[in-house]
Amino acid sequence: MYHVEVLPNATTHLTPGWTYVPDRGFDPSKAAITPTIGRKRGIRDPGNRGDLSSRQTNAIIRHLAELDRENHKDVHIPVPVKQKDAATRGTRGKVTSNVRRILQSQKSFRNYLDDEEAALAQAAHASQRPPAKIAKSSLRRSSTPATTPSTSTPKPDSRRKQSTQQSAESLPQKHVPIDRAPTETKPTETTEPMDEENEESEENEEKEEKVKVKGLIKSEHDNDPLLRSYIPSAPSDRIMQALLSEPPLTYNAARAGPPVTMQSQRHFCCVCGYWGKIRCRNCHSRTCGLDCYKVHEDSRCGAFY
Amino acid sequence: MVTTKPRPSGRASIAKVQPLPDKTFIIDNGAYTMKAGYASDTPIEDETIAMSACSIIPNALVKTRENRVYIGSQINTHIADCNELTFRRPVEKGYIVNWEAQKEIWEHSFLDDKTARSKELRIVIPEETTLVLTEAPNALPALQKNADEIVMEEWGFGGYLRCMGPSLNAWNEVQSVFGDPATQKYDSIISPRECLLVIDSGYSHTTVTPLYKGQPLQRAIRRLDLGGKHLTNYLKEIVSMRQYNMVDEAYIMNQVKEAVCYVADDFVRDMEQTWKGNRKCGQLNPGDSVTVDFVLPDPNAGRKGFMRQHDPLLNAKKRKSALSGAGTETVSEDVLVLGNERFTVPEILFTPSDIGMKQAGIRDMVLQSLSVLPTGLHAAFLANVLVVGGNSLIPGFMNRLETELREVASAECTVRVRQPQDPIRYTWLGASQLAANRTEFQKVAITRQEYQENGSSWTGRKFAGAL
Repeated sequence: MYHVEVLPNATTHLTPGWTYVPDRGFDPSKAAITPTIGRKRGIRDPGNRGDLSSRQTNAIIRHLAELDRENHKDVHIPVPVKQKDAATRGTRGKVTSNVRRILQSQKSFRNYLDDEEAALAQAAHASQRPPAKIAKSSLRRSSTPATTPSTSTPKPDSRRKQSTQQSAESLPQKHVPIDRAPTETKPTETTEPMDEENEESEENEEKEEKVKVKGLIKSEHDNDPLLRSYIPSAPSDRIMQALLSEPPLTYNAARAGPPVTMQSQRHFCCVCGYWGKIRCRNCHSRTCGLDCYKVHEDSRCGAFY
Repeated sequence: MVTTKPRPSGRASIAKVQPLPDKTFIIDNGAYTMKAGYASDTPIEDETIAMSACSIIPNALVKTRENRVYIGSQINTHIADCNELTFRRPVEKGYIVNWEAQKEIWEHSFLDDKTARSKELRIVIPEETTLVLTEAPNALPALQKNADEIVMEEWGFGGYLRCMGPSLNAWNEVQSVFGDPATQKYDSIISPRECLLVIDSGYSHTTVTPLYKGQPLQRAIRRLDLGGKHLTNYLKEIVSMRQYNMVDEAYIMNQVKEAVCYVADDFVRDMEQTWKGNRKCGQLNPGDSVTVDFVLPDPNAGRKGFMRQHDPLLNAKKRKSALSGAGTETVSEDVLVLGNERFTVPEILFTPSDIGMKQAGIRDMVLQSLSVLPTGLHAAFLANVLVVGGNSLIPGFMNRLETELREVASAECTVRVRQPQDPIRYTWLGASQLAANRTEFQKVAITRQEYQENGSSWTGRKFAGAL
């Protein structure tokens, strides 16, 4: 039998009658405006109980926005007018156009962030190679932990690049005995100076390893070759330089991702804060018991969702 | 030394290179407070003396109920009635966004000779002062450019350095914080100074910044969009739903938060303790009960808010005295009873999923940060975790963080999570240490002349470390 499976990728296939659209997961910034998950989906596949309905996601997003507010109401607090404006300026000449523009700007952080996102997207779109690469790599780095440091610093010398990559590759296996090292360096043996460098760095690593072992917590198994614990040695100087010279991530890329260790979500009683064991039929908020459920039903059921 | 000139007009070429001005003024410009003051001229020997030069000034414009507007430090001195205060903060999400308001607060606090009276905070001649301004990690380039242009073109500081706040902590004497002897033999390769994982939990967010030799490893910086503001608002929301309507009382709820909140080391146990069923039984003696009362401030009586042990019979007493008509004192006070609110509120920093947020808590954020770094560094970073920022002052915070990190770190790694004496001003102190180290400082800071010659985009590249 044939089995056709569409692998998830970023492209969109336009086919008459239907469309494959990449599912990029949940994007909170967009969901607030246009919920991507249809309301009816919850009815259509009821097996998917673990996921939140779009209604609930929107409620959470609204709640988070609420927590992010400075004041409960929108207020405008004008800067108090000074009496002698000219006197304080006095010695300092006149305002430059940059300063005037910045001071008069009423943009919020949201506006600046949108501007930057738009600029990045455009850079990725319009000019083909260089900016797209930067934008992509910075975006990618956030989601998938790359083990090799990307050599984003442009170096015309390709040999150097190779060597850094190689030393990075050899990182996960630093505890490999040294006598295996020649086999590893084989492909690059044609270039002599590099070989020396490699050996040097390895020597360094070895030295560091010895030094580092002292910092470990001692246990009775330290003499047992199987149970002995060792910390992988510190990376070489060159890797560190490459890491240090990387450009900063974008604001969105630096946001912490979803939790690594998935714990089941805890629910709390919306009335008293104790564990939420009972879910209200109408509004899905939780209560801890009949007492609180009665309070909830009488007063605020449906008021918040 | 330097003759005071009016700013050189246009491209008046000055033949000799001007050095950085000797005086260095540091502003650690947080969203909630600014930490500001002059750096000491000599290398710092005693941290407490150096720290005394640093003042904490609220970074906000405040409007009272009577529609009066107060600026910066006036909030602490001029406002008697702290009900229904509304705030305008120039710093949004940790970054200076609104320079109109920020300029007003800076001028009021540092530059205006009528309002900035104290010698420690007055910048007399900006041309003869070097300004060190901190910023949160991953700032938007547009906002960085704005900051550079305003600082150099509006006030014309003689020297200027804009740098990432958490990275300044590496300049401090962190060895003493970690209890290491000042000179260790084996740390000649990786010393705490070289590898330091700074967790900065502030007003707008919590960030993790791994520092290698004082420089940030950009790819591993992570941010959790929860900070002190969210805790206050969350507490406010809960209390408003369960007890009094406090939605307009962010200032008071912040006081309540600072007084009562703690991070539970055993969440489940504390939750069971505060269950209302237990309360009725009275099986716990009131001494070690979690539940407390917070007496709200009373502006009419000039009383401040304070916390005290929970008194389950308070309501009954009140009713009684109201009936008998005696003792108006107990009747007039308003009390918030705080049970599980005390620890469920700060808990969201560790378990953001409690409020439905899809971000990792602090512990997982540290793991995510380390996962993009070479494995060889993990042990060094985990052994040198430094926590700064106001949220680390919540009781139990440090304990909980260390326990959580210990659980996930591999068994042979040492995990040390430490907090400096003053986690709020520690970043400022680090900047002061950097300024005292003249050779290093001159490498990173720029002079006014350099700005005028090269412009703001060059400045941006310089501070990004690209030059």
